[in-house]
Amino acid sequence: MIGVGPHGPVGNADPVEAPATVAAGSAGRRPAPVMRLSSASGWNGFELDGLDVERERPFWLTLGLVPGVGPVGFGRLLARFGSAEAAWKAGEEALAVLPRSVPEAAVVLRRLRGTGPEAVARQMSRAAAQVGARAITALDPDYPPPLARLDPRPPVLYVAGEAATLAGFGVAVVGTRRPSGYGRSCAIEIADELGRAGVVVISGLALGIDGEAHRAAVAAGGRSVAVLPAPIDRIYPPRHRSLARRLVAGGGALVTELAPGQPVGRPDFARRNRIIAGLAAATVVVEAPDRSGALLTASAAVDQGRDLYAVPGPIDAAASRGCNRLIADQLATLVTSVPALLQQLGAARGVQRPTIKVLSETEGIVLYALLRRSGSIEELMSRTRLPTGALASALTLLESRGLATSYGGATFHPTLAARRLGPHA
Amino acid sequence: MLSQTLSASLLGVDGVLVRVEVDVAFGLPGLTIVGLAGSAVQEARERVRSALRNSGFELPARRITVNLSPADLPKEGTAFDLAIAVGVLSASNQLRAEDPSTALIAELALDGRLQPIAGAMALVAAAREAGVADVVVAVGNAAEAAAVRGIRVRPAATLGLVVRHLAGLDELSPAGPTPLPEPEPAHDLPDLGDVIGQPLGRRALEIALAGRHHLALCGPPGVGKTLLLQCAPGLDPPLEEDEAIEVGRIYSAAGLVDRRKPLVRARPFRAPHHTVSKEALVGGGPRVRPGEASLAHRGVLFLDETLQFRADALDALRQPLDSGSVTIARVEGALSLPARFLLLAAFNPCPCGWLGTRGDACRCDPASARRYAARLSGPLRDRLDLFVRMEAPRGADGGDGAEPSRLVAGRVAAALQRQRERQASVNAELPLGAPELDAALTARGRATLQARARRFRLSPRRVQRTLRVAQTIADLAGSGSIDADHLDEALHYRPERAAA
Repeated sequence: MIGVGPHGPVGNADPVEAPATVAAGSAGRRPAPVMRLSSASGWNGFELDGLDVERERPFWLTLGLVPGVGPVGFGRLLARFGSAEAAWKAGEEALAVLPRSVPEAAVVLRRLRGTGPEAVARQMSRAAAQVGARAITALDPDYPPPLARLDPRPPVLYVAGEAATLAGFGVAVVGTRRPSGYGRSCAIEIADELGRAGVVVISGLALGIDGEAHRAAVAAGGRSVAVLPAPIDRIYPPRHRSLARRLVAGGGALVTELAPGQPVGRPDFARRNRIIAGLAAATVVVEAPDRSGALLTASAAVDQGRDLYAVPGPIDAAASRGCNRLIADQLATLVTSVPALLQQLGAARGVQRPTIKVLSETEGIVLYALLRRSGSIEELMSRTRLPTGALASALTLLESRGLATSYGGATFHPTLAARRLGPHA
Repeated sequence: MLSQTLSASLLGVDGVLVRVEVDVAFGLPGLTIVGLAGSAVQEARERVRSALRNSGFELPARRITVNLSPADLPKEGTAFDLAIAVGVLSASNQLRAEDPSTALIAELALDGRLQPIAGAMALVAAAREAGVADVVVAVGNAAEAAAVRGIRVRPAATLGLVVRHLAGLDELSPAGPTPLPEPEPAHDLPDLGDVIGQPLGRRALEIALAGRHHLALCGPPGVGKTLLLQCAPGLDPPLEEDEAIEVGRIYSAAGLVDRRKPLVRARPFRAPHHTVSKEALVGGGPRVRPGEASLAHRGVLFLDETLQFRADALDALRQPLDSGSVTIARVEGALSLPARFLLLAAFNPCPCGWLGTRGDACRCDPASARRYAARLSGPLRDRLDLFVRMEAPRGADGGDGAEPSRLVAGRVAAALQRQRERQASVNAELPLGAPELDAALTARGRATLQARARRFRLSPRRVQRTLRVAQTIADLAGSGSIDADHLDEALHYRPERAAA
């Protein structure tokens, strides 16, 4: 049983009441947690304070390269040997305490011993520095505090950009790689408002919702953190390389658990998602179909006791089925509106109404209809009673003023600028 | 003895006048045909030999040389048979022709009967262009040949009758000109009244037809893209006489003409399957034949599932979309086929078809969906004028959507009539920077166009194309000038949307 609900550092402003426990019946339909909490992981109660940071550092960086040494395995090593240095000196004997035995582990360990931990650590640091990143261990003072509350926590992080951003109040905005126009529109609006409110927007740099959230946050002048499923020197997906650069330039950061130059395998999404949820005070799932990776982030957030919010979608939309189920199973709080979400997150701010050039009567009618509900030309026709040509023309004008967009689909949505005008523009 | 007769050869869809020279000389008996004669022409020897004998003449036991001039032009087909036979008769003094300047265009059967050939309209037209006043064709080609104005067409049944005519004994009576038929009301065509909803798609189709602007519809399976575009023939005004003759020539050359009714008024509507090869789509092959693009000349080329077409085939459409003709380069030189069609395209947004639609989400990998959309290559997208993203109608709200084809066809015809009265071509074919367009643009329209071009980062080509579409929208509205509203509506259909 996992306790969920709007507790924790946020959600102090009139939260929607959620039950403290999840009924056994619905727990069965919940996506499986990424990583089970386990008191045997060795991190709980283990005192890191007694370790010498500088002395330990090379061993932390090097041990992390051994296959099978993840957060759990590293914790066991610390618990069994007292320090990474001691674990290293134990040699292949230490492999026995790992949670799973990987055949290549002994081979890799032998090779690393041949090179020596200092040389390996230097190599790692140099590779990271080449892409403007550095390694931060759980011993370092700038290890992000939100992750320090995780058990087990990632022993080493590679961070490009402003590491201090990781310590800030952050909210994860995640969702499907194949969003609808509605999903994009919501992601943009939420990330924009968070960015303006000074909240760090955390996501996974994936295509779709993740990308929109990062982009909108940066465009709003906010800071954003991307947690990568691949080494820091290999931005994944490659199409978001320039977005990653803009993120860093805007005071944000790129984070990954994977060391530079590690074998190029499948991107490790599950570990990535756990860190996203861990860094964030709350996670907002914008749009997720069944079996979406975003649901893994959601379940990690629940496991870690963080707040979870989900944006509801139409009940006939496959793209929103995962979100709707999170809400139905009472794992996530339903997002009723973006201002309400900001309130619940404790990030509300005064509304400023921007001014805009006067619209003609027709355009006003169309914008008003759009603000009430997004829709296709056909739906807007039946709501506005305008002929096709006039409607098409008015939409182009609204588009050119940045008040409406279709995201390439048949459905038109009001943009952020339009929503800020309010319903009585 | 030397003789000379006239015939014509088909080159693409155009004819070339060919002089058939026959020399009968002493030497080893035989018949040789020179002048880049293809295999069908070489076989003329056997047909001519039998036809002469079976018509009561004889092939002299001499050395006979036939030269088809211009000798460097490759020649195919059987249209020279009659000219060769008559040439042999003249050169061997079996016939003294009264008027050697009659063109002879027909195939011979072994018994001496004249057989119709493909491309008769183009060949007769070539003879007329060369100043020939009389042409003899097979009876089966009479209607086609007589569709060409300005030349006397004399249909004949047999070689014997042709010889009697040429000798001045019995004149072959000329055929009356083939009349231009009245437009027939089309039936069993889909009607716009049967299409559910899709007001934007209807409107775009109306604009496309009224100004001949290339249109693409994109949407999930089953929303009515295909049905909507199949309504186009029922909305298209009939061919004008000169257009009907142009189209008839192409179909005649392709061997696809109804020989008794070579002229039709219905605009072509060609819908090749997406497995079509590049050669079948734009023409080409060892013997150049008009492709679907040329068969759609003055009509509609409908590409259903456009993005499933072979990439090289789609690429080959760029030239006709630009210039209204297909140029086929051969070793012997380039040859041009007319292909001024209206492109109507329909495709799904992604391999599964559901990308970006409400409700049922797409199940494609984003990368493969992207690759799929990229098949609408930039250069091809640049040449489209109108793009509409369609979605299944929600509920059964028809609204004013159930307008039948008859009403829309009336507006389309009226808009085209306005264009004919004002300018030499339809709006889509106005040259870049045409003064007509500039003159019609209001000051507000000009400012709007400039502002939108900056805002939407439109290429200069798109700006020009938008202006033409806006002119058609103004024509449909009966407006004498192009205003901001017309431009904004035209921009609503900009194909750059397909990229998002």
